[in-house]
Amino acid sequence: MYLPVLHSGDRLCSTEDCMPGTGVYLRHGYIYSSLAGYVLRKNEGEELPVISVVRETEAQLLPDVGAIVTCKVTSINPRFAKVHILYVGSTPLKDRFRGTIRKEDVRATEKDRVETYKSFRPGDIVLAKVISLGDVQSNYLLTTAENELGVVVAHSEAGAQMVPISWCEMQCPRTHAKEFRKVARVQPEYLQA
Amino acid sequence: MPESITDSKPEKVVCGPGLRRNGDEVLVCKSGILRHKQPNLYWIDSQQRRYVPGKGESVIGIITAKSGDIFKVDVGGSEQASLSYLAFEGATKRNRPNVQVGDLVYSQFIIANKDMEPELVCIDSCGRANGMGVFGAGGLLFKVSLGLVRRLLAPQSEIAKDLEKMFPFEIVVGMNGRVWVKAKTIQQTLIVANLLESCENMTAQQRQTLFRRVADGSI
Repeated sequence: MYLPVLHSGDRLCSTEDCMPGTGVYLRHGYIYSSLAGYVLRKNEGEELPVISVVRETEAQLLPDVGAIVTCKVTSINPRFAKVHILYVGSTPLKDRFRGTIRKEDVRATEKDRVETYKSFRPGDIVLAKVISLGDVQSNYLLTTAENELGVVVAHSEAGAQMVPISWCEMQCPRTHAKEFRKVARVQPEYLQA
Repeated sequence: MPESITDSKPEKVVCGPGLRRNGDEVLVCKSGILRHKQPNLYWIDSQQRRYVPGKGESVIGIITAKSGDIFKVDVGGSEQASLSYLAFEGATKRNRPNVQVGDLVYSQFIIANKDMEPELVCIDSCGRANGMGVFGAGGLLFKVSLGLVRRLLAPQSEIAKDLEKMFPFEIVVGMNGRVWVKAKTIQQTLIVANLLESCENMTAQQRQTLFRRVADGSI
C-alpha cells in the first residue's frame, strides 16, 4: 500500500500503531521517516504492521558486512586496489558502489610480501567479501583473503581471456604467456561445462 | 615493418623485445632490424625517441617537486615517477637526504608498468648507493635517441672506446635517452656533446674520421 511522496522528517505514526522497518527512525515514541520516498506498510499477521519508507519501487540491495560481492578493478596502487562493486551475491546493482582492497587483505599468508601488480590488474573481475562499510568518505573495505575469493575473469596483455593454472598464475591461450594474479578457486557447481 | 613471419625451424625460439607469439606464428610488433643471437634468441632493434619506463632500468631524472615523503621526478615518460626520500643511502626519518628541486638523480626503477605510477630508488637491493644518487654540479645534460644510448651502454661499445681517446671527461648515461657530460673546460664539454649527438646516424667509418678530424683540430 503506497502513500504519496514523503519528505525526510515527516512524522508517520506512533510506535503503538506500527513497528519501525527500514528508512524510518524512532523519536519520543513516534516514527519519523528518514528518507524521501514512498511509505510501505506491511501487515505481518498478529503483530503490529511494519512501516518502512523506500526510495524506489524495488528496495535496493546494499552490500552488508560478510557479503560476497563481484567487483571490477578500476585502478591499482602499490598499497591498495580500487574496485567498482557490480553484483551483491547474484543480484546486479543499479549503481556502482566503490570498494577498496588493501594490500594486506589480498592474501591470508605472507601479507607483507604482496605485490598488487602481481595480484590484480585494471579490468579484472574479482570475487571479494565485505569486511567494513567504511566511513562517510571512504569506500567499502573488501578482502580476498580466502581460497574461494580472488580473480575470476582476467584478460591478458594480448587481449585474450586467460585460463587459471594455479592459485597465483594465469595463462593466455594465444601467446602462452603466464601472468600473475590472485586466482579464486571457484566451486565446481558454479562452473559451466 | 610489422608483419608476420613463420618460423620453419622446430627448435625452441626465444622472443625478445619487439616480437610476440600468436598461436604458432611469431609476429613482429615494432619496426626495426631483426637481430639474432646464438643459439635461439631473436629480437627487434628499433629506433625510438620516446622513453617507456621499464623495471630495473637506470635513468637520469630531474626532481620537479617535493611533496611530503616523496619527490616527483621527471624521467621523460608519460607520467612523473615518484622517489621516496628514504630510498637514498644512509637516509633515515631523521637524516633526510640533501635533495633540492631541479637536481639531477641517477636512479633505478623498482615499479614500472602501464597500470601504476612508476617508482624509483637510489639504492640497490643491499642498501648501497652503487653509483646512484644526486649528481651534476656543472656539466651539460642533453637528449639522444634510445638506440644510441643502448649502443653506448653495450659491453664492448666502440663509440665509448673512440670517445675515450679524445680527452678525459665524466659521462653519465641514462636509459631514458638522457646523457650528462662534464669535461675540464666548457669548450671540451660542448665538443663531446655535439659529437655524441652526431654519432646517431653515422657508420663506424664516418665516425672515426670525424673523431680524428676533431682530435687533430682541437687542442
